[in-house]
Amino acid sequence: MAAPRARKPGKKTGAGGSRERAETARDGREFVAEAEEILEQMSGDLCLLHEQRHADGDVDPELVHRLFRSAHTLKGLAGLFGLDPISRLAHRFEDILDGLRLGRIDLRARVVGMLDEGAATLLELISGFGRQAELPEAAMARAEHYLAELEQSLAPSPSDALDGLDAPGIDPTLLRALTEYEEHRLRENLQRGRPIVLIDATFDLTSFEDGLTEISAAVRESGEIISTLPSASASAERKICFTLLVATNLAPEQLGRRIDQSNCAFRVVHTGRIDAPANAPAAPPSPGGTDGEKAETLRPADELAEASQSGEPTKIESLRSISGSVRVDIAKLDLLMNLVGELVSHRNALAGIVARLTADSRNARIGADLAKVQKLLDRRLRQLQAGVLDVRMVPLRQVFEKLSRVVRRLRVDLGKEVALEFAGGDTELDKLIVEQLVDPLVHVVRNAFDHALESPDEREAAGKPPIGRIRVAAFQRGNHVVLEVGDDGRGMDVEAIRSKAVSRGLVGAQEVLSEREVLNLVFEAGLSTRDEVSETSGRGVGMDVVRSNLAALGGLVEVSSRRGLGTTITITLPITLAIIQALIVRVGDERYAIPLGSVRETLRAGEQPVLHSEDKEILNLRGSPLLLKNLAYEFGIESDCERERQFVVVLGMGEHRLGLVVDGLEGQQDIVIKPIKGPLQTIHGIAGATELGDRVAVLVVDVSALVLETARRREAA
Amino acid sequence: MTSPEVIEEHAGKAADWVGVAREASHAFVAGAAVEERRELVIVQLAAGEYAIPVERIREIVRLAKVTRIPRTPDWLVGVVALRGEILEVVDLRRRLGLPATEATRASRIVVIHGDDDGVAGLLVDSVKGVLRARERDVVPAQGHDFRSVVELVRSGMGFVSILDLDRVLGAGDE
Repeated sequence: MAAPRARKPGKKTGAGGSRERAETARDGREFVAEAEEILEQMSGDLCLLHEQRHADGDVDPELVHRLFRSAHTLKGLAGLFGLDPISRLAHRFEDILDGLRLGRIDLRARVVGMLDEGAATLLELISGFGRQAELPEAAMARAEHYLAELEQSLAPSPSDALDGLDAPGIDPTLLRALTEYEEHRLRENLQRGRPIVLIDATFDLTSFEDGLTEISAAVRESGEIISTLPSASASAERKICFTLLVATNLAPEQLGRRIDQSNCAFRVVHTGRIDAPANAPAAPPSPGGTDGEKAETLRPADELAEASQSGEPTKIESLRSISGSVRVDIAKLDLLMNLVGELVSHRNALAGIVARLTADSRNARIGADLAKVQKLLDRRLRQLQAGVLDVRMVPLRQVFEKLSRVVRRLRVDLGKEVALEFAGGDTELDKLIVEQLVDPLVHVVRNAFDHALESPDEREAAGKPPIGRIRVAAFQRGNHVVLEVGDDGRGMDVEAIRSKAVSRGLVGAQEVLSEREVLNLVFEAGLSTRDEVSETSGRGVGMDVVRSNLAALGGLVEVSSRRGLGTTITITLPITLAIIQALIVRVGDERYAIPLGSVRETLRAGEQPVLHSEDKEILNLRGSPLLLKNLAYEFGIESDCERERQFVVVLGMGEHRLGLVVDGLEGQQDIVIKPIKGPLQTIHGIAGATELGDRVAVLVVDVSALVLETARRREAA
Repeated sequence: MTSPEVIEEHAGKAADWVGVAREASHAFVAGAAVEERRELVIVQLAAGEYAIPVERIREIVRLAKVTRIPRTPDWLVGVVALRGEILEVVDLRRRLGLPATEATRASRIVVIHGDDDGVAGLLVDSVKGVLRARERDVVPAQGHDFRSVVELVRSGMGFVSILDLDRVLGAGDE
């Protein structure tokens, strides 16, 4: 972090102040990076807030608290950089959240809307600042407007009188020790009829932090810690005692069983309205403590008074906010990755030299020694590679959060409801892929919401629940990650797509296509099944862009649909683009690299019987037909290799299989796929290129493109 | 603006024009405002000479091993690996509609600056040198029905065509 400096960015520094300017720019970048991270966290929390409100109207107070802290941090950060408008906005944001957590403001839909809007405005300010090092005028105006509106619309709801706290069984001296927030939480929990329990926990002085953290975590699993108060009543020396005021979702005796620790004593101060399950066995008395109503009388009041006066309430949150992570610029990771990539290609060159040495009888011994060293180097290099790759991996949850933000906005724009579900948010992907994935995925979800889901009336008429459902699920399959976006909407009309494709000249009227092939025509440019133009999804543009964007990542997108039941879009992506294992094949005089993740097996071409059908060749692969493609023919390479001496590389991508016929296999290598720079935007069938040890570019085959060029051959037309 | 660096990539006899070009590029940076002159690198293609503005040139390298790319127009020679970058190489002869020829030892790749899309390697027969042209020697090529030439520059007895790189590299008859 930069040292605190009051400065007005956006104001031009004087001429000749280039160094200062550069510093300002760097500070600005630091601010933007940090602020974006805070906002990311905030919007994720806002999503959760929505979900919880939708689910049962009961919002986790810890969530509101976390949002409050984020706003507070952002306020401080913006203040540090002299970004007044952001600071003020964050300040008001903090006020709302403070009101919420203290119960001064009710969590109404309107308030949540305001929070959303506030977050959006903050994002706009910050990203604008990131782009042009100046706060964008338009966003500043919006922020002012927003603040004015806030003043009007958020008159605080009448707060309960402080002494109106009706908590029989809780010692008044203890109550007096509570902060306003804690008091509010206690009141809230009493209103909800939750049991309130006091836990007296005794620890060794030396290890109380760990012990307290452990118990707190255990309690949080089934309840809320309203307050943690240190107590002076420790019985032995070198011991310390804490009193935890806890609201629980469980019956008190169940909580007692769950926390079962010898250093804890339980006192039920309020039994609440939650009934213990009838079949639950009676709770065994926890050692050193009691259960049931007796507990109320356990301690003399003055002891508690002492406890509450003995010091400030311990801040547990501060313990948990110490995070062990470091924020790293992605460019630095890329640099590391490139270095590792170069090491890998040097390693490949070294392997070549080792092979030459060992083959030469005069140098065989040196060769063998070198081979040993090389093996050690190899192992370490692989570990290094794996380590660097691992750092780049991020969970897909980040993308899911963005999706749910988009859908929330769409709910308003379309005036339509949807139940959005996520699964597999922990699935990890290369950061680079995750970044590129957002736009296509947003497009797919938006399409599903806008087009695929019917209106509530239509749905009821079809016997479906009135609110449509979109489910986004991710899971890992081998070296790929599969993302499925499924809806329970109207499904696609195969005949309509087909006739449209024919009228657009994409397929011949007489062409025989399977249902699946027809459905996947929606990814062709200029094909949309709905004629209306819609703000949300545009007309017909998009699905082809989605496909080409994903193809650029080495991914594959497919659709399956059932009329009236729904549509599922399936996206298959490689886990990483950075360094991959590749099979180097030879065709004629040329070499190509095929990502090993897509290679199922390799066969000698002469060994299996080949059937000819029309102009295609089909190989009998253990009883299943495998369509063969000759790479030499596909890529127009001259090759006079006889079939018997050729090889078949069996490619697999999603559900698809393809046998690629090549002249020779040259072995496996770790390669870094690099983009091809130049005037041609995309090269069909080529995913990129790599530099092998000998400084020659070798093209990397785009397996998804080859696999997808099914029976419909473009040049046949 | 970054200083145009003219680098000889491969070891070997340093051709005269490298020094000239480097000097010129420095002069370009230092004195662009002082004198209204344009720095142009002159390249040979078939029988003609063409000029490329120095500020658009990143480097000039000898022709290395080019990897052919399938399914691409014939004016694209292929790709080369250049210091960790994979770069498309355009056959400038074919791109301008001139007869194709075999590469020789004099062949060079002129690497053009640009962001991801703008960058490219141009294959030329040879590099002749640098021309510091006065602004008044540059005349428009309008009405001559050129495809990739917008201006001509007087040089000695004749004219040299200044290539408009955006037109050369832009989407064309693919």
